[in-house]
Amino acid sequence: MIVQTALLIGMVLFSVLAIFLKDLIRAAISLAVASLLLGIIFFRMGASYAGVFEISVVAGLITVLFILTIALTNTGEEVRESRLANVVFPLFFVVFVIIDALVMKGLLQKVPALPSGPEAGTFGEVLWKGRTLDLVGQIGVILAGVFSVLALFRKRDKHD
Amino acid sequence: MTNTWYFYLFFSAGLIFAGLYALLSKRNLIRLLIAIEVISKGVSLVLLATGFAKGNILVAQAMVVTFIVVEVSLVATALAIIINIYRHTKSLDVRKLVRLKG
Amino acid sequence: MIILFVALPLIVAGVLPLIGKVSRRVVPDLLANATLLFLLVYAVAVGRPLIGNGPAFQKLTWLGETVNLRLALDGFSLFMLMAISLVGLCAGLFSIDYMEHYGAKANYYALFLIMIAGMNGLVLATDLFNIYIFLEVAAVASYSLVAFGLGHDELEAAFKYLMLSVVASAFILVSIAVIFGMTGSLSLPAVARALQELNAGPVVGICAALFIMGFGLKAALIPFHAWLPDAHPSAPAPISAVLSGLLIKVSGVYALTRVFLNVFGLTPALSTVLMYLGTVSLAVAAFLALGQKDIKRMLAYSSISQVGYIVLGIGLGTPLGIAGGLFHLFNHALAKGLLFLTSGSIQQATGTRNLDEMGGLANRMPVTAATNLIGSLSIAGVPPLNGFWSKLLIIMALIQAGHPVFALVAVLASVLTLWYYLLIQRKAFFGKLNERWAAVKEAPFWMTASTVLLASLCVGVGIFFSVTIKSWIQPAAGVLAEGVQAVIRSWGL
Repeated sequence: MIVQTALLIGMVLFSVLAIFLKDLIRAAISLAVASLLLGIIFFRMGASYAGVFEISVVAGLITVLFILTIALTNTGEEVRESRLANVVFPLFFVVFVIIDALVMKGLLQKVPALPSGPEAGTFGEVLWKGRTLDLVGQIGVILAGVFSVLALFRKRDKHD
Repeated sequence: MTNTWYFYLFFSAGLIFAGLYALLSKRNLIRLLIAIEVISKGVSLVLLATGFAKGNILVAQAMVVTFIVVEVSLVATALAIIINIYRHTKSLDVRKLVRLKG
Repeated sequence: MIILFVALPLIVAGVLPLIGKVSRRVVPDLLANATLLFLLVYAVAVGRPLIGNGPAFQKLTWLGETVNLRLALDGFSLFMLMAISLVGLCAGLFSIDYMEHYGAKANYYALFLIMIAGMNGLVLATDLFNIYIFLEVAAVASYSLVAFGLGHDELEAAFKYLMLSVVASAFILVSIAVIFGMTGSLSLPAVARALQELNAGPVVGICAALFIMGFGLKAALIPFHAWLPDAHPSAPAPISAVLSGLLIKVSGVYALTRVFLNVFGLTPALSTVLMYLGTVSLAVAAFLALGQKDIKRMLAYSSISQVGYIVLGIGLGTPLGIAGGLFHLFNHALAKGLLFLTSGSIQQATGTRNLDEMGGLANRMPVTAATNLIGSLSIAGVPPLNGFWSKLLIIMALIQAGHPVFALVAVLASVLTLWYYLLIQRKAFFGKLNERWAAVKEAPFWMTASTVLLASLCVGVGIFFSVTIKSWIQPAAGVLAEGVQAVIRSWGL
């Protein structure tokens, strides 16, 4: 439990850093570290497949995409963020965390849940046989993403 | 629901709050996308923690895996849009995107 | 084979760009529109008998093993499928001519078909998470379709749409996670049954609130509407037609209705919230539409207003109210699709969307003017067009259920709607012909053909409204009016 808590705090910390770091490349790498920690958290919960996916896809693929974009849009001129929002954030965050903890404490045992039966099968069976329609959806969303990128980067003659 | 569920929910609520705050206040387009990524982390943590608390870890994993695939598609599309915006305005500032009044 | 509704558009979409490389001109258009036509015919011809005795289900075997592909086709789903195929086909036909100067037509049609496949999958899904994922399929396709023109405004609108839409998806997923935690299942009948047993008032209320925020954002209910007035005008005209006419209703209203009426059960508190949300959208958007100069922006605000009517009717919960709301959903899909398509014709002919710059176009573009007039009158609720009957049903249901104030607001907003639509007619079509447009021609064949088709449907459904209501709306309304029992009893899988 201690390890899990440390990992969770670390992940939240790196995520917040990813948002507030000035240099975009460092922000992307901070996001990757947060994804790595989340993947480890998933492993320790017994969700090895989700952990692998999280690390390889989010910490890997998405970080590469981010760094690619940052490189392609390298102006040299920075976008000035609102200093007030940056300064006020820690205050808001701490207040939110306190409210959050109190709400969670108050909700303990308040959310009813039906007991659930034992789970059958392996992950492969659950994904391929149990949630097949999700796979059709995944194919759809991958096709949508691929065609979107193709459409948005097509060679265009002056329109608009 | 078991106590561990609330424990994980506490952290993911923090993540989602941080992400939403950033969406509202940040100006760099890529940073907005990073904020979306942080929100997605929070959501996948909730999904998996719920499965963990119920003992239904396999269904939860299937959901998280599918969600990550959707997230990749989304990030790819969003980055394509951002690169095109950069080609137009030569800047990543969301304040340059105010021609439409909303 | 209900799976065809989802599988066919996806397969054709996957193949289209390859074909587009080989044959640039005719084959992609032909293939895409043939698919849409097939879906429409399939829905109308095959779907009706299938649901004769209650919902039809789909079980598949793949290479000898039973694959768990649960799709359910009941009255409500079939009704939505028909609306999707109809407006989709007309928008597809319109695109044959309109998308010529955008380039990459095969790619466009592929994304279009993916959006249709996503919407079809959403209405056929029996599982909360499936609803979410098909919602995302349609949404990801729609982001790039909005940005398709690659102009500054399109990209800006697409980016803002994307940001807000992702927040909506996050809310929906959190709610799904909590429901999964409470009930241990994701399939609609199991969740409905479990929620009846659990009787967990406040937490279900929180989940309902999250769903309202998420689906309400997709449906562009006020106060979650901020993305729509930018996204719908900037998209190419046929995409605006599908977004306004279908996507906000399928991913917003259908999902909301299915979850609230068939799974949660419509409690009085929920009904009141929905009715207030609907009324606020109805009234505020009607006012906001008044000051608009851009014709498509006015139509976009009008969409927000009409969705308010739909949510008001369905939120009322009485069989008459639900029937009115669903009928208005169908009518608005037809009429708003028509109006966006004609606005595309205008934009292509004159190059502008600014109402002040137009004038007297009826002389040069008579067909477009006529169909636009029919569409406007339909939405404004002028008899004997279809919009009149659906609005009448909703108002009658409100009075019957004892909500005269809501009915009054609905009637007043209707008058306002009529006013600003007549304003469009006067400014754009009638009056003196602006010399700049002396040389414009009527829109090309497919563009006029698709608008004429939609206009004749508006008139036809208006005249034969009782037949339409009996054969299409009643089964759908019946499923919803049964509430939670419809899903628990007949979907028990």
